[in-house]
Amino acid sequence: MSELVETVSTLPAPTLADPRPRVAAALADDAQLIAACRRGEARAMEMLYHQYKRRVFGMAHRIVGSSDAEEVAQEVFVRIFRALERFRGDSALSTWIYRLTVNASLSHLAKRGRRHEVGDDTLGELPAPPATERDPGLASRIEAALALLPAGYRAILVLHDVEGLSHEECAAILECRVGTSKSQQHKARARIREILGPQLHGHRDTKDGT
Amino acid sequence: MSCDDVRPRLSGYLDGDLDPERGSVVRGHLRTCEACRQIATDEAALRDRLRELAPVDPPASMWAGIQARLAKEEVAHSQRPAWRRALARWAPAAPRFAAGGLLAAAAVALLVWRAQGGPDAAKPVMPDQAPIAASSPTKVTGPTQVVVGADSSTDVTADLATEAARVTATYADAAEELLELAGEARGRWTTEQKDAFDAHVVDLRASITAAAEGRPRQRAWRELIRYLQGAVVRDDITLAGVSQ
Repeated sequence: MSELVETVSTLPAPTLADPRPRVAAALADDAQLIAACRRGEARAMEMLYHQYKRRVFGMAHRIVGSSDAEEVAQEVFVRIFRALERFRGDSALSTWIYRLTVNASLSHLAKRGRRHEVGDDTLGELPAPPATERDPGLASRIEAALALLPAGYRAILVLHDVEGLSHEECAAILECRVGTSKSQQHKARARIREILGPQLHGHRDTKDGT
Repeated sequence: MSCDDVRPRLSGYLDGDLDPERGSVVRGHLRTCEACRQIATDEAALRDRLRELAPVDPPASMWAGIQARLAKEEVAHSQRPAWRRALARWAPAAPRFAAGGLLAAAAVALLVWRAQGGPDAAKPVMPDQAPIAASSPTKVTGPTQVVVGADSSTDVTADLATEAARVTATYADAAEELLELAGEARGRWTTEQKDAFDAHVVDLRASITAAAEGRPRQRAWRELIRYLQGAVVRDDITLAGVSQ
């Protein structure tokens, strides 16, 4: 009985995704900000930039890699300011900006003709992980493993798992069905677990119980 | 439920996306299968670590770079000829024109279906459905005057008709702007070219009026826009074939 209690307590618990706060007031703020940007108000443009710079740059950084991230992020912001006039508000401003970011990043990768930012030997160069529960080097290994994924898998993991967007939002950004977003995320997680292997938790033997 | 059934559902389970019934089944399997439990534990750890990845700060120079690129683009834009600026403005709407055409066709089909077989008294009225139009007190004359049933606020046909009307209105705006540009170029044309241009525009406008609502009328609008684009872009009217 005590064994069962112990087993149950170690089961991974499902958690609801932690969506970013979105309130009606934000929509009104967005509308005012867009109107001011359309009028060419420098302060409003700078505000919009500061509001989204980390997310745009962070997403570009993780999809195209560090060396090209600034170029892509700059291109995204230029597109935003040039196209705001035509923004019809069919989706939230943030969704539109993320879509521009993902599209610009994927286009950049296609033009560059390289799927990976880092070589396949990058993981091998990383120091062996200590078998502790909280591994401070794990984040850098996860970043490196992300860079080894196909671009589409990288995009869904960055949007859903890093940025915390819902599958509905991911589907709107990637212009696919919600079910496709879910299945892509499942495959992407499986692939990155495969790349990381035992590094995720330190070295450990696993048994297959199928 | 086997491991093969459970594993594809683990991401959804861990993210709280499964309904209680499916979540309970997955959880029940995890209680008894150590291999799946290990995968779930790994995936939960991965999910948590991904969420904890530190935000990446852009370099401080990025805003200055964006401003420089914006300034450069605006200077280049201002130096483009008027017709290129106009085309650039309408080009992004081109896919919407196509989508709008399909929606308009769907709207027409739905409206006709409702008019012919629908039990409602408030039937949609289309100008190209002569018997219906004749028996209806409502006269439809323009692209934005498609009439739908009284319950249009909840009716998909209302949305489709609105979309069709919106697309047609966009064509009209595009044609209007191109006509203005053609007017500017007109000073360089010969009298013969002006006459040919005017005659052809009149013909094309007549074709629009005569065309049935929906795709045929939008096709006629596109004919006019294509002709005007040709006239403005080339800035010399090709008279061959114009005065047909």
